[in-house]
This record gives sequence, structure tokens and C-alpha cells, in this order.
Amino acid sequence: MADLAWKSQGRTRRSTRTVRVAVSTVSTVTVAAVALAVLLVPPLVQLDQQAVDLSMKLRPPSLAHPFGTDDVGRDLLLRCVYGLRVSLLVGLVAALAATVIGTVVGAAAAVSGGWTDRALMRLVDTFSSVPHLLLGIFVVAMFRPGVWPVIVSVALTHWLSTARIVRSEVLSLRSRPYIDAAISGGATRWRVAARHLLPGVLPQAGLAAVLMVPHAMWHESALSFLGLGLPTHQASLGNLVQSARGSLLAGDWWPTLFPGLFLIIPTLAVAGLAGAWRERLNPRRRSELML
Amino acid sequence: MTAPSTDPSPAVGTETPAASSASSASFVALRVLAVRGLSVRFTMRDGRHVAAVDDVTFDLAAGECLALVGESGCGKSVLASALLGLLPANARTAGSAVVDGVELLGAGERTLARTVRGRRIGLVPQSPAAHLTPVRTVGAQLAETVRALTGLRGTDARDAALTAAARAAFPAGHLDRYPHELSGGLAQRAATAIALVGDAPLLLADEPTTGLDRELVDHTADELRRHADEGHAILLITHDLAAAARTADRVAVMYAGRIVEIASAEAFFGSLGPRHPYARGLLNALPEREFAPIPGLPPELGDLPAGCAFAPRCPRADDACTVLPRLAGGVACHHPEDRHA
Amino acid sequence: MLELRDITAGYDRREPVVRGASLTVAPGEAVGLLGPSGCGKSTLAKVAALLHRPAAGQVVIDGEPVNGWRHAAPRTLRTAVGVVFQQPRLSADPRLRLRELIAEPLRAVGRSRAEAAARALETAEAVGLTGELLGRRPHEVSDGQLQRACLARALVLRPSWLVCDEMTAMLDASTTAALVNVVEDYRREHRAGLLAVGHDRVLLDRWCDRTVEWSRIAQA
Repeated sequence: MADLAWKSQGRTRRSTRTVRVAVSTVSTVTVAAVALAVLLVPPLVQLDQQAVDLSMKLRPPSLAHPFGTDDVGRDLLLRCVYGLRVSLLVGLVAALAATVIGTVVGAAAAVSGGWTDRALMRLVDTFSSVPHLLLGIFVVAMFRPGVWPVIVSVALTHWLSTARIVRSEVLSLRSRPYIDAAISGGATRWRVAARHLLPGVLPQAGLAAVLMVPHAMWHESALSFLGLGLPTHQASLGNLVQSARGSLLAGDWWPTLFPGLFLIIPTLAVAGLAGAWRERLNPRRRSELML
Repeated sequence: MTAPSTDPSPAVGTETPAASSASSASFVALRVLAVRGLSVRFTMRDGRHVAAVDDVTFDLAAGECLALVGESGCGKSVLASALLGLLPANARTAGSAVVDGVELLGAGERTLARTVRGRRIGLVPQSPAAHLTPVRTVGAQLAETVRALTGLRGTDARDAALTAAARAAFPAGHLDRYPHELSGGLAQRAATAIALVGDAPLLLADEPTTGLDRELVDHTADELRRHADEGHAILLITHDLAAAARTADRVAVMYAGRIVEIASAEAFFGSLGPRHPYARGLLNALPEREFAPIPGLPPELGDLPAGCAFAPRCPRADDACTVLPRLAGGVACHHPEDRHA
Repeated sequence: MLELRDITAGYDRREPVVRGASLTVAPGEAVGLLGPSGCGKSTLAKVAALLHRPAAGQVVIDGEPVNGWRHAAPRTLRTAVGVVFQQPRLSADPRLRLRELIAEPLRAVGRSRAEAAARALETAEAVGLTGELLGRRPHEVSDGQLQRACLARALVLRPSWLVCDEMTAMLDASTTAALVNVVEDYRREHRAGLLAVGHDRVLLDRWCDRTVEWSRIAQA
């Protein structure tokens, strides 16, 4: 067949595909760089992020201090990396907790149906009707400032959407004939849930969890910015922006800009990665050969 | 395997711009679709190639209905997708398929959208209910198609929509209904009406009867026959032999991506019967005949035996069958059924 | 005997789609149920497979009235009625390989992995599936091959009754004849009863011992 002139007849335009590949590559590289930075810099780089040098305070970016220094002369690049580390940790743990709560509540509502379903979903509606930040503030206000109250606050306000997603997904899967066939084949409720429903829901829940990490980081930063989050001595991105507010008014832009970028860039990268993942989850794209 | 040998006759259709309306007076039936050496292959993730359609050649004239039959997975729906430019991104095509003067293979999305879909090829879909938007009335969807394909507006557009509905025998009084308010037969007519709007010379019916009641199958088949008699060329892709028998002028049997027999419907379904052992087997599997399945499974398209692909399941196979038989005299077989017609 | 007595069934609080339907399938008997699409015969098939709770009426299996439905039905009764649906694409869990799909009921009733694998292989062979095909997932096989796997899944627990709801409506003539032969071989060997629901009179007349019209067993 080598002598035939094969012509491409794909529906997807090449430019769209190139853009898609570029976005997912850039996102992957960024996420990898962020992960490497927060994992490797603190143990490998023997510099103290808290080292104060009052003779160097509020210097603009230079070779020695690429991100400049803050109002007590600490290196901002180092502070940002440490801040990102704390914010990311809070974001990851909180997103994981929120996803577990959301999946359990959503699956329980869908599987039990009836009154349990209605009660759980009204609970979700009630929680959703209160602004997240307000609810979060309420939770942290009950504890002393620290990492755990912030994580609890984020987790308790972010499981709602996951619960909705998981519930509707389980409901749609449950009406498929293959569930009927499994029941007819002797499967218990538990086996249907574990073998057929959960594996169908997990990709969606995982996607929601990944997208929730930057969301949780923003929430943490917002709390810290308001002075309700992490204690001020702990460098988190929110704390960095908060403590640099004063210098911004004086015209010093770098102490707020760089922590802000450290928040925005990972957010965009995670969103890009999640988009690529969603594309791969689409079962129609998975089957390459149409038969 | 051989390269397409026949000349792709680029002039088909260009000489006959009015192919769709000139069904009666001419002696020579006008050729609407010319397929020459059409092959489709998929590149798999591991770099293998899978030939889903291989060296398919046939013609289709105005007023004629050709039924393309075969088991599921034989490549007939891939062929339909290739004609409509709806193949997935990992597909490559070779050969030529000219409909009414336009080359379809390798054509850009813009060409397909502006000159082919709806204008030269009308699609009668597999499940009309799923093909129609549930949130808009049939009339609104018909009018939208009219605006998109003809550029008519206002009363002219409404008249065109009514004409299309009338030609598909869709009752005008039902145009303000939503798809879910229609019976299966009416939904089929609504979808056909939309396919007829652009006055396409070729109608492509892709499994239009799958899962329907026998009555509805007969009804759909008769409607298609009527459109053929009104001058449309119809390519009916189906695994339903009864529907094919009721509608088609000619039958093409596909096996493992190749056409193994192409014959007049009269001979194929009549007392003469098919000549290819596979086609005979397919017909004998019908419950009104012997109800005996062909032994074995269709071969994997990625792993075809050398020579005739049907040989491993064929009662007549011998050493000669290790050479790929060419389609000659309407049958691609080394040991076809003799026929004294 | 598999008896459906005066079954009325529907969905939620809407009008019932089945009214007062009665039907009996004796052991070893093949009964065809013929009706137009949308008449409610699929719902009746689900009632017979204990997958849908009827609003009124009784299902009696071997003289024993059924009281629970779906998960609430005793497992021995549920697995005594095998079921095959019309659309293989929707009836197969897209994540399972065909060999897992066929072995799934055996695993669900607690057979060991090895025994399940061996029995699944045997049943797969009976429906004409072998070798590398069994390692594929549903989207990698044709409709005909997938429906063979679904039939194997229904037969793998050796049910006393089989309910086939439009099993062959999406399939070509040869695959239809092949699957009907598999069901018939199984029925002869195990003296199993069959309820074949469909709209194709020629097929059901050829396949079954007797064919009943939907309008004869249920009220309009």
C-alpha cells in the first residue's frame, strides 16, 4: 500500500491542536518547576529566609536579589519560594480533604435517595448560600491562627461543588443497563458501588480535586491577607502580600508583584493541565479506531 | 495490494450541473457519485496501520439506490464517514470520491461545510430522535437549515421549509411540535426533510432502520425508495438485508474493508442468489431462510490473513485463496457460485 | 415455572406502561413476546429479571412468590434469571476487559479468581470469543463481539431462565443466527426457559416454541 497517496482528513484543525499541545506542555513544565522548587530549594539551599539585613531593606530587583528585598531586607525570592511551599501544602491537604468529604456526601446522597438525598442536598444548598469567605472566616475565628484551622476552613467550604458533581455522576451511571446487569449477576450494593460506580466517578472527582488546589491556595491567601490565616511570621503568599501593602503605597512594586505572580502562574498552569486531562477523559477521543 | 487503477474521472458531474433534477428525459443515467480505489486507514498509537476500507470502487447514478451491506465492523460506516469528511484525526484516506463534481477526499473543512454537507450529500441519520434538537420545534430546525443552506429569509424560507416537509411527507400541521412529541416514523420523516432541504443529489442513509419495528423499517425503506424514484441517488448503508431488499436497485457486500460482491438486487435476493460464498452465507443466516450463522468471527482489520480475508471461514477455500481475489464481473472470489443468467 | 401474574408497572408516579400483563415460561420452554417499540415490553422484561418493582401483580418462580426487587431480591433468585439487553454499548462497563466482564458475576457470588477465570474462558468460547479479543475493552470491539460477551455474562452463572430483551436488534443476520444458536444450545443442555422479547415476528417464530402478541397478554 506504500504506493498510495495518503491524505489527511482529520476534522481537528492543525492550529487548534498545536495550541492545545503547547498549553499542556507549558502547564506541565510549570507545574513540574513549581513542584521541584518547593521540594528541593528548602533542603538544598542553605540560606535563611528569615535573615534580616536592615541595610538592604526595600531594594529593587538586582542580581543578588532577583525579586528585591522586603522592608527588613529579607530576600524576596527565597521568601516567595517558602511562601509558595506553605500555600501549596495548605492547598493540597485542604483540596484532598474537601474531595473526600464531597465524594462521600455526594455518593451517599445518590445511592440512598429519598429523604437522605433531600436532606443532604439541602445541607449543600444552605452551605452554598453563605459566601465562602465569610464561612471560612467564621471557622478560623473559632481557633487560634495556624495551619490546621486554615485547612479545616478551606475544606469545609469547598466540598460542596464536589458533592454535587459526584451525586449527579452517580445518578447518571446508576441508570445504565450495565448496573442492571451487575445486579442480575448477583452483585451486592457494595460491590456495585466499589466496582462499577466509584471507578466511573473518580476521574471526575480527581479533576475537581486538582482544580480545587489553586482555589484553596487563593482562599488561604485571602484569609492570611485579612490577618485571619497563618501567623504573620510564617511566610505564606497571602502574608507576603499583606505585609507589603504599606510599601506599595510608597511606590515599591516588587514586594507585592512577585508573591502575586507566584499565586497566579501555578493557578493558570493547573487549569491548563486539568483542561488537557479532561480532554483525555472524553471516551470518544479515547477510542482511536471507529468500528 | 494494488493502487487505484481506474481513472478518477474528474469530469463526473461537472458536465451535469443539473444532475439532481434531470432524472427522467436522459437515456444514460447520470452519475452522481464516483468512488475510485477509496481506502481509509487509521494510525494506531503504537504506530501500526489498520486498513478499515481498502480499494473500494463503485458508481452511483441519479435515481438509483445502492445498498452497502455487511457485518458490524466491516468498514461500511467508516466509508460513510469518509464521504462526509467526519473521520477522526488519526485517519488517512487514499483514492478518490467525486460527488457532483467535487472531490471529497482530502477536501478542507471549509469546502465540506460550504459545498458538500447538505448541498451535495444529505444525511438520513441512524437515530432521528437523537439527530434533532429536543429544545426546538421541527419547523424551527427546518427553517434554520433552510437559512443556512439557501440564504432565503422570511416567507421564502418558510415556503422552502414547507416544500421540504411536503417532499418528506411530513405533515405541515406537525411542524410546531417538538421532536419528543413525534412518533418514530414522523421523527424519521422530519430528519429526512432536513436532509432534503439543500436539494442534494446524493442521500446517504446510515443504518436508518437499526432498532426499528418491522413496520417502521418497511415504511422507512419505502420512503427511501420514493426519493430514489424522484431522482435522488441513494447510498443505503445497512446490515438489515430485508430493508436492503425492499429499497435497493443494486447491492454491494463489504467484508473486511473490501467490496466482495456487487450485483443487481433482483439477482442477489431473487432465485439466482449471490455468487460470493460470504454473501450467500449472510443471506442464509436470515430467519426466513436457513437461519444458519457463518462460522467464526470477522477477521481483525489490523491482522488480515494474506489473500482472501474470508478464506478462514469459507467452505470453498483452497490453495488458490492465498492470493487476494480481484473484483471481476461483480465478484471478488476464486470460486464463485456459477450462474447462468 | 417463571410466572408473571397480572403485572402493572411504570416509572415514578406517571401512568403505568404495563397493565395487567400475565405470562408463563415453563422450564425448557422458549417463549417469544412480540410487540411494537414503546409498548412496555422492555419494562416487563425487567420485571421478569427482578430488576424493576411492579406497582401491582406477582412474579412467581418455581411456586415461590418474589417479594424483593433489585438488590433486595434474594441472590439465588436474581442469579436464576439471566438477562441480555438490546444495546451492548450501554450494557457493558466501559472499564472492564471482556474477560473481566464475563467473569464478573462469578466474582460477585464469591468464586475464587482462578475458578472465575476458567469458567469465564469456557463460556466465552461457547459464544465464540477467544484469544486476544478477551483482553480488550468494550470500545475496542464491534457491537456483535460485545453482545456476544454480554450473552456470555448472562450465561456464566448457568441461570434456569434467560430474558433476552431485543438481544439481536442491533446485529447483522449472521451474528443474530450465531447468538440464537448459542442460546438454543444452552437451553437444550440445561433445560432452561427463555423469554425472548422483540419486534421481529419472523425471527421470534423461528427461534421460539411459541410467540405471544403483546396485545394478547396485557391491557391496552
